[in-house]
Amino acid sequence: MRSLRLPSPPEQADRAAVAEGFEPVDLRLPARPAELKRARDCVATAAADFGFARKAAYELVFAVNEAVTNAIKHGSPDQDGTIRLSIDAEDDSLVCSIQDAGPFIPPSKKHEPVSVESGRGFAFMSALTDEFELLVRPAATVVRLRKLRPALVPSA
Amino acid sequence: MGNFQMSDDLLGGDVRVLRVAGDVDFDVAPQFKRRISGLIEAGDRQLVVDLSAVEFIDSTAIGVLVGAIRRMRAAGGSLVVVCDNEDVQAIFEAVGLENVIPLHHSHQDAFAALAVTA
Repeated sequence: MRSLRLPSPPEQADRAAVAEGFEPVDLRLPARPAELKRARDCVATAAADFGFARKAAYELVFAVNEAVTNAIKHGSPDQDGTIRLSIDAEDDSLVCSIQDAGPFIPPSKKHEPVSVESGRGFAFMSALTDEFELLVRPAATVVRLRKLRPALVPSA
Repeated sequence: MGNFQMSDDLLGGDVRVLRVAGDVDFDVAPQFKRRISGLIEAGDRQLVVDLSAVEFIDSTAIGVLVGAIRRMRAAGGSLVVVCDNEDVQAIFEAVGLENVIPLHHSHQDAFAALAVTA
């Protein structure tokens, strides 16, 4: 009777497999637009290894791409000309941190409608992740994006 | 730069189709903007931007589309977007953009929309 309450063995095996496949990432990217592809590929690989479904992985890639774009566009690279992208597993979430060495420059204070040409990055980041945090320090701006791995659906 | 590509054709005399492929991000958004602006400046007033072969599009490229739709409208023309990529559709819906840039799932739908909005 007791065994009926436990998750089915295949599901446990799947979870173990994805946990083993994921490797934390700590990447220094040259602060150039041409590096965006590398950042996206890196997040896509981490998300797949962590067991994210396709749609959730795409959403995380999109959100991180916005943060890296902001860091390249508005931020300041460190002495080596790089910005930092790290990806860590925390329980059932992936946490991506994007850090540049510049002070935070707030987007226009004006309340703009969604139809304007730019300034939509923060809306995307918060809509596509489960937690969006902006850490502002004197010589660093860090965007932290957390996305939960949806519960694995046991195959019927 | 990667796999970003663009090509355009004139169909049926006055409908221009701009096909975009690959990743459209901050790196290539200036090229994308110049190409669309060039078509509008050269006199195209019925423009279909086909994103069917796009793998990734970021907010910068979306901003280019928003600006181009406005400019085309101001010029008395019409610009519609085709995209059958479900991932891209989901991104648009996440921030309520589907009302600003309607994504048509086929060329047929896009041509019908041109006829209505032109």
